[in-house]
Amino acid sequence: MHAEYMIVLGAILLFPLLFSIIMRIDMYAHWRSMLKTMGIVCGAYWTWDALVTARGHWSFNPAYVLGLNIAGMPVEEWLFFIVLTFVSIFTYEATRKVLSRR
Amino acid sequence: MKEYTLFALVSAAFSLLLDRLLGTRIIVRREFWIAMAIMMFFKIPSNGYLTGRPIVLYNPEYFLGIRLGTIPVEDFLYGFGLITITLVLWEYFVRKERNREI
Repeated sequence: MHAEYMIVLGAILLFPLLFSIIMRIDMYAHWRSMLKTMGIVCGAYWTWDALVTARGHWSFNPAYVLGLNIAGMPVEEWLFFIVLTFVSIFTYEATRKVLSRR
Repeated sequence: MKEYTLFALVSAAFSLLLDRLLGTRIIVRREFWIAMAIMMFFKIPSNGYLTGRPIVLYNPEYFLGIRLGTIPVEDFLYGFGLITITLVLWEYFVRKERNREI
């Protein structure tokens, strides 16, 4: 199924996104810091990934991606870093909140 | 050394250096290691699916060829670097934001 990579990304994002709202994680109040962090990390990793993908480090199975490419990489691979940076920040802040509650 | 192996090692080492340079020192904090353990736990099914299906195909020229299940060992270092750099920058920017508020 062409949507499989996208579904994996959705599965990674779903619960962190939901719980960031339900648990009232104090991360959206720092949206400027979120944007700066995600901007720097995504910028660096997008560049690295696009370069090594062009070099042939890895390739993406056309059977499992939607087929929309940007600079030689599927759109899913670009979204991967946005999802991962968000989920990292969420997991860290949620852990901190749970620890401080005890 | 294989290129992906080298890049993965360098990015993981750089993340620790960045933590020092920016003075965030999150690697001595409990919440960092708990969040890292949670991320690594959920990394196994998602990364496993991407590499097992396979959605992402790795070129044997650029990695060691050692896999834990279907996941190349480099992916764990790569993930550690990505998560650590994200959390170091997040911590750095949030602290700066808080200091400005006081």
